[in-house]
Amino acid sequence: MTITFRERYLGVCHFERPGDLLLSGPNLIWVEALREWVKQGAPEEIMNFFFCQQYFQFDPLPRWLVEIRSGLEWWRGKVYDLGHGIRAGDWGTAPAYPGFVPKILEEDERTVVMIDGGGRKVKSFKQSEKMPMFLEYPVKDRASWKEYKKRLDPATPGRYPDDWDAYVRQINEQAKELPISLQVGGFFGYLREWMGLEPLLYMFYDDPALVEEMMDGMLYLEMEVVKRVVKDIKIDQATYWEDMCYKSGPMISPAMFRKFMMPRYKKLNDLLNSHGVDIIWVDSDGNLEQLIPLWLEVGVNYVWPLEVAAGNDAVALRKKYGKDLIMGGAIDKRVLARGKEAIREEVMSKVPFLVESGGYIPSVDHWVPPDVSFENYCFYVNTLREIAGLEKLSF
Amino acid sequence: MTDPLITISEAVQNGDQEQVIKTVGVALKAGVPASALLEKALVPGIRALGEKFKNEEVFLPEVLIAIRAMNRGVEELKPHFTAEDAKKQYKEGTVVIGTVEGDLHDIGKNLVGMMLRANGFNVVDVGVDVSADSFISAAKENGADVVAMSGLLTTTITYMPTVIEGLKKAGLRDRVKIMVGGAPVTRQYADEIGVEGFAEDCASAVDEARRLMKL
Repeated sequence: MTITFRERYLGVCHFERPGDLLLSGPNLIWVEALREWVKQGAPEEIMNFFFCQQYFQFDPLPRWLVEIRSGLEWWRGKVYDLGHGIRAGDWGTAPAYPGFVPKILEEDERTVVMIDGGGRKVKSFKQSEKMPMFLEYPVKDRASWKEYKKRLDPATPGRYPDDWDAYVRQINEQAKELPISLQVGGFFGYLREWMGLEPLLYMFYDDPALVEEMMDGMLYLEMEVVKRVVKDIKIDQATYWEDMCYKSGPMISPAMFRKFMMPRYKKLNDLLNSHGVDIIWVDSDGNLEQLIPLWLEVGVNYVWPLEVAAGNDAVALRKKYGKDLIMGGAIDKRVLARGKEAIREEVMSKVPFLVESGGYIPSVDHWVPPDVSFENYCFYVNTLREIAGLEKLSF
Repeated sequence: MTDPLITISEAVQNGDQEQVIKTVGVALKAGVPASALLEKALVPGIRALGEKFKNEEVFLPEVLIAIRAMNRGVEELKPHFTAEDAKKQYKEGTVVIGTVEGDLHDIGKNLVGMMLRANGFNVVDVGVDVSADSFISAAKENGADVVAMSGLLTTTITYMPTVIEGLKKAGLRDRVKIMVGGAPVTRQYADEIGVEGFAEDCASAVDEARRLMKL
């Protein structure tokens, strides 16, 4: 009998399938890189996410319930055509719903200043997906938080698919093949998206009660979402998005993390655990070393993308945390730009060990940047396939 | 009675701006010179905080509120500065800082700028998406001792050599030291592109700028 991807994924995450290399990433590639690859000989259809996944014969992703507005909507958010070749998504600050309607405030040849879907005033490069410069945020104080909070109502029409019963049937059918993953927000990253980093960091001292109130707003929304979803759908994995570290460590102290964030993680993760959700992932850039033990303490047990440039060492983490910690990513994106020998060394120095130890899904340690050539990326994919015992692909 | 210099230094480290303002006011009334309050209380306070940050005793929120407290103290002192005191405020040197062309990230650059300013550097922030020409003009106009370049993307830090080349062509390279930083930037990368300075974070940027001033 053929094993399903769902069984493989859960088996790997539960350390029951040592040696099974999943090519499910997530394998994320910047549009600028894909444009360059087309110039270098890749098929034009590679610009399409689903074609790209098939082209490289990646394993599926878990079925992320992105239709439920409880986290980032990077795949399925509404996209507004603002004219002049400028497109803006309403993603970015979900689960605030409804999003703001993007509008252009000013533009020049290279850049555009606009209100984005998150209600933020941003300056972006045209024709680029690079992170914009944030000029103004919607939450500035208690009064603006009170207004913004209305967008975190779990009962807002549109937060769930209109035909819930049909959606449940569809997901439960897909669940035969795919693990099901629900976004459950986060307690730092989203607050930063609403307020901006510096104002939020000041707020921890100037008005800690407001910070707690905002975190509670997120907690209430996500608890209600989880309660509703688990009634009808078996969730396998929950995902937080935090992006709360930089190359030297966390943006707030472990003590502050413990005081403000851990009780809320605990409450939500206890609920998830009580419904059998035991794979709880966090997406955070930067050096995670100081936060990993704290996340583990409250049930967050899967970290991604383990940026190498920030000093994360996945092999050392495996030796330190054993089977308590599931890991993803950890392959240095910078190395993919260097050449085949360097790529092989990077992959071979960690992937075989990590895959054999279980609880690891390889991927580049964030989105693949445009200085990585098509040829190098193909070589990287084939190197992973070689470890997986799969035939090399011809590109 | 507690030494006001110690009280102010500790208040800076605790980010207690009210205490800084209050104690600076009392000390000024008692006849303590503004220059002494700057050099023996505020600056030591922020330096001590920088050390704590490097040792991971404090983190970014504590750095921000400490800088804010120091700045409030400096504002209180300014009306009492002599012309000589005002010069001393930024005696460490002039740093032109910006994020390189093609990159709009500014958080890291802003933090480094704030820390340098709090530590006695005259900081000229030229913003984000800064061309080589703009770095060069700002360095010339302000008599920069250091040009500090930030970049958050692997694809934008490749612009740093363009700025370096521009500084050479403008005849400034011999008298301007260069330091670089940002998520993908390493000491190795700094060496590869031939610059003297590299900093991991905002506190070590202050040490590095000081080191460069002595070269």
